[in-house]
Amino acid sequence: MIHFFVFVPMLASLLLLVTPVRWREEVAAFAAAVTLALGVLLWRGGGADLVSVPWIAALGVTYSVALDGVSLLLALVTALMTLVAVVYTARRIPNPVTMLSLILAMETGLLGIYAARDLVLFYVFFEDALIPALLMLAFYGKTHRMAALVKFGAYTLLGSMLMLVSIIGVKAIGGSPTFALPDLLRHPVTGAAQTWLYLGFLAAMAVKLPLFPLHAWLPDFHEQNHDSGVADVMGTLYKVGAYGLFRFGMTLFPDASLELRPLLMGLAAFTAIYAAWIAFRQSDWKRLLAYAGLSHMGLVGLGIFSLQPTAMTGALYLLAFQNVYTGALFLAAGMLQERVGSLSTRVGGVMIQAPILSGVTMSLWFASIAVPGLAGFIGEFSVLLGAYQVSPWLAFAAGLSTIAAAVYALSAYQTTYWQARPAGAVTAWDLRGTEWLVLGVPLAVCVVFGVYSGPALHLIQPVVRAILGGGA
Amino acid sequence: MTTLTLPDVTLAPMLPVLLTLLGAVAATVLGFFVPRRTVAIISLLTLALSAVSMGTLWDRGLSAFGGSLQADNAAIALGMVLLLGSAIAVLVSLDTAGRARLNFPEFDAVLMFAVTGTLVIAFSGDLVTMLIGLEVMSLSGYVLATLQDSRESEEAGVKYFLLGATGSAILIYGIALVYGATGSLNYAGIAGAASGLAVQNGPLLVAGALLLLCGFGFKVALAPFHQWTPDVYGGSPTVVSLFLSTVVKVAAFAGMLRVFSGALHNAPAWLDVLAVLTAVTLVVGNLAALFQTNFKRLLAYSAVAQTGFLALTLLGRPETGGPALAYYLLVYTLTTAAALAIVAALQRTEAGLEISDMRGLYYRHPGYAAALSICLASLAGLPPFAGFMAKYMAFQAAFQNGYAWVAVVAALTSIAAFVYYMRVAALLFLPDRTPAREYPGTRTATTFSVALGVVGVTVLGILPNLAYAWVAYPGIWTSLAGT
Repeated sequence: MIHFFVFVPMLASLLLLVTPVRWREEVAAFAAAVTLALGVLLWRGGGADLVSVPWIAALGVTYSVALDGVSLLLALVTALMTLVAVVYTARRIPNPVTMLSLILAMETGLLGIYAARDLVLFYVFFEDALIPALLMLAFYGKTHRMAALVKFGAYTLLGSMLMLVSIIGVKAIGGSPTFALPDLLRHPVTGAAQTWLYLGFLAAMAVKLPLFPLHAWLPDFHEQNHDSGVADVMGTLYKVGAYGLFRFGMTLFPDASLELRPLLMGLAAFTAIYAAWIAFRQSDWKRLLAYAGLSHMGLVGLGIFSLQPTAMTGALYLLAFQNVYTGALFLAAGMLQERVGSLSTRVGGVMIQAPILSGVTMSLWFASIAVPGLAGFIGEFSVLLGAYQVSPWLAFAAGLSTIAAAVYALSAYQTTYWQARPAGAVTAWDLRGTEWLVLGVPLAVCVVFGVYSGPALHLIQPVVRAILGGGA
Repeated sequence: MTTLTLPDVTLAPMLPVLLTLLGAVAATVLGFFVPRRTVAIISLLTLALSAVSMGTLWDRGLSAFGGSLQADNAAIALGMVLLLGSAIAVLVSLDTAGRARLNFPEFDAVLMFAVTGTLVIAFSGDLVTMLIGLEVMSLSGYVLATLQDSRESEEAGVKYFLLGATGSAILIYGIALVYGATGSLNYAGIAGAASGLAVQNGPLLVAGALLLLCGFGFKVALAPFHQWTPDVYGGSPTVVSLFLSTVVKVAAFAGMLRVFSGALHNAPAWLDVLAVLTAVTLVVGNLAALFQTNFKRLLAYSAVAQTGFLALTLLGRPETGGPALAYYLLVYTLTTAAALAIVAALQRTEAGLEISDMRGLYYRHPGYAAALSICLASLAGLPPFAGFMAKYMAFQAAFQNGYAWVAVVAALTSIAAFVYYMRVAALLFLPDRTPAREYPGTRTATTFSVALGVVGVTVLGILPNLAYAWVAYPGIWTSLAGT
C-alpha cells in the first residue's frame, strides 16, 4: 500500500495528460483524495514497515521505503495540503491542467522523500520534487521569474551535488554493502571524514531548510510564483531540509552533529531573528509570508540541531503544522489578490466587505505567531523549552523572533484588513463555495492539533527517542 | 629456411567492422546508380547487421590477428553505443541533409568509413590497430566537417584538420616512446612490461603515457586541448556536429579506456595528470557554456563539459570506471544526439538556433520542446533521467579511487551546468506570441530518433539495470588489455 501511496499522484499526473478536458479537474481531485485516504489508512494501520528490494544491485542502490511516525505525519500533512491546493487550483486558475499535473507530480516527490530509506533513493525523490517546482515557476511565474528560477535552481543544486558526493562517501568510506539506511548505520564513518561528509550533506539540507546564509532564493521564489499561492503551498511543503537532517543527518553523523551543534544552533537562532526582522519591513504579502516561514524554519533548525528530545519533538511538530497554516495563508493571500488585485499590505478595509475571509486569515495568523490553543504554539514552545536546556542564551535570542512575529504579522494585518477602505476601491466579495473548504480545513486542523496534540506527538516521540538513542 | 606463418585471421570477430566497411563501399559504388535516400537506408541496414553480428559475439571473447583485434565484451558494449549513435546520425540526415546541402551519397560513404574507424578503435588490441582506426575516423571526420559548401564549414574543417593532425602527431610520438620503454605495441605486452620495468625505461614510459594523454586530449576535447571543439561543432552542419560530438567522442573514449585502463593501468603519473586535466575541463567547459548565446554553440561547450564528467570515470579503477563509462557513453549519446536532432529539425540555417529563439517553443512545437527539456534535464543530471545515474556512477568511480576532490569540483561545476541548461529549458515554456520561426517540413525520421533518445534516457534513468546489468561484471573491464 505504501507504494500506491507514493506513486498514485505521479500516475494521476501522467493520466491527466490523456484525460478528456472535461474530466481533468475531477480526476486530479480524486487522485489527491485517494492519496490522502491511503495515508489515513496507513496511519490507522500503524505505518508501514521497511520494504527493501535491490534497484541497481551492482551499485548497492536499493528501493527501500518505510513510513514510521515522523514520516507518516509529514506525509499526511503533504497529502492534505495537496488536496487543498488541487481543489483551489481547479477553481482559481483558468485552464489548470498543467498546474494540477505538476502539483501531483510534486506530491510523489515529497511523499517519496519522507518514505525513502535509501540515500540514493532519497536523493532521487529530493531532486524529483525540484523539477515540478521549477516548471510551476516557469509556466506560471511573474515577470522576473527567470532570475528567481535560476537562483532557486542554482542554490538547490549547489547543495544537492555536494550531498551526492557525501552520499557516495558515506558508503565508500564506511564500507557498507548498500545505500539502505540500516546497512549504512551498521557501517558508520568515524573521525574527521564524518565531519566532512556531514558538511556536504548539510549543504543540501541547509539550502532547503533554509538556513542563513543559504536562504536568498526563498523570497524571490515565493514573490515570483503565481498569485494564487498554489505554487507556494507546494513551496512550503518543499522544506524537507529539516526532515532530511533529522532522518539521515543525525543518525549517520552523530559525532559531527554534536561537534557542530553550537555553530549550527547559533546560525538557526540568527536565521529566526534575522528573517523576522526583514519580514517586518515587507510590503508584499507573499514576501512577508516567505520571511515568516524562514523565521519559523530557523526555530525548526534550532530544535533539530539542539539534539535534545523535547526541542526535536517540537521542531518536527512545528515543521508539520507550519506547512498547514503557512500553506493556507499563501492561499488566503491569493484570495486577497483575486479580490483587490494586489498583494500589497497597504490595501486597507478588506474586513468591511469580506469579514469571513479576514477572520479566517487572522485565525491562521494566530496559529502562525504561536497563540496558545493553536498548533503553532505547541511546536514553538517545545522548541524553546528544549533549546533552553542546551543553550539558554540562544533560546532566548530565538524566542525574540516569536515577539517579532506578532509585530510583523499584526501590523501588516492591520493595514490590510482594518483601517479605512480607500475611496473608489473595488468591492471585495467574501468566501464562496470551495473557498470555505480551502481555508476551513487547514484552520480546523490547526485548532484540533493545537488543543489535542496527542495523536501527532505519539507519532513523533518514539522516533525521536530512537534516533537520539542511537538508532533509527 | 624459416617457415611462413600465416596470420591469425578469424572472420567472426572482424565481422562487425567488415559489415560497416561493406556499407561504406556500397555507398561509394551505389551512389552512382541510386538516389541518396536509398544509400542511406542501405547504410542503416549494414549498421543493423553489424549490431546483430556484435550481439552474437557477446561473452565469447574472440580475437583475431594474434590479439590485435579484440572482440571482448568491452569492445561490444562500446561498439553498440557507436552503432546507435551512427544510426541516429543517418536517420537525422534523412530529413536534414537536403537542407544542409549534404544530399549526396559521398556523405554516407564518408560517414560509414568514419564508423568503421570508430569500431576499429573499440576493437583494438594494440596501439597500431588503435592508431589505424583513429586515423580512418579522424580523416573521415575532417571531410565530413568540410563537405558542405559554406565558409563556416570550411573553416571548421580546416581547424579540425590542423588541430586533429597535431593531436595525431603527438599521439604517434607517444606510441613510439611507449614502444621504446616496453618493447611492445600490444596492450597486453605493454601491461606486462610496465609492471616489471627497468629503471631507465620508467621516465620513457611516463613521457610516452603523457604524450598519449595529450593526443587523446585533443580527440576527446579535454581542456586545454579543447579549443577546436566549439568552432568545429558550431561551424559544421548540424547533423555532422551530431556525429562528431557523439560517435567520434565515444570512439576516442573507447580508445582511452583501452590504452589507459588497459595497457597503461599500472604505469605511473598519468592518473594524477588526468585528474588535473579533468578538473580544468570541468571548470572551463561549464563556465564557457554559461556565456553562450547560440544554442548549438552552447551544446558544443556542453560537450566539452560532458567530456570532463566522462573523464571522471577513467579516474576510477577499471572495474568501477569501465561500466560507468559504458553507461555514461550510452546515455550521453542518446541525450546529445536527441538534442542536436531537435536543433537540426528546427533550425532555419546551419548556424543553429539562438537561445532567444527557444522562447515559447512549447507553444509552437510542444513535442520537441518537451523532448528537449527532458534532454537538458538529463544532461544537467536531474533524476529520474539517466543523466543523473550516469553522473552518479562517474562521481562514485572517481571518489572510490581517491579522487574525491575532482568529484567535488565536478559537483560544484554542475551548478553552472544546471544554470545554462535550465535557462534554455525554462525559456521553452515562457509565453511567446510571435509567429513560428522554425523550419517547416516533414521530419518523421528525426522525430523517431528524438523519441528514441527521450524514451531511452527516461527508461534507463528509472531502470538503469536494463543497460547497466550487461556491463556491470568487473571481469569485463579488468581484462581490457586482453590478458
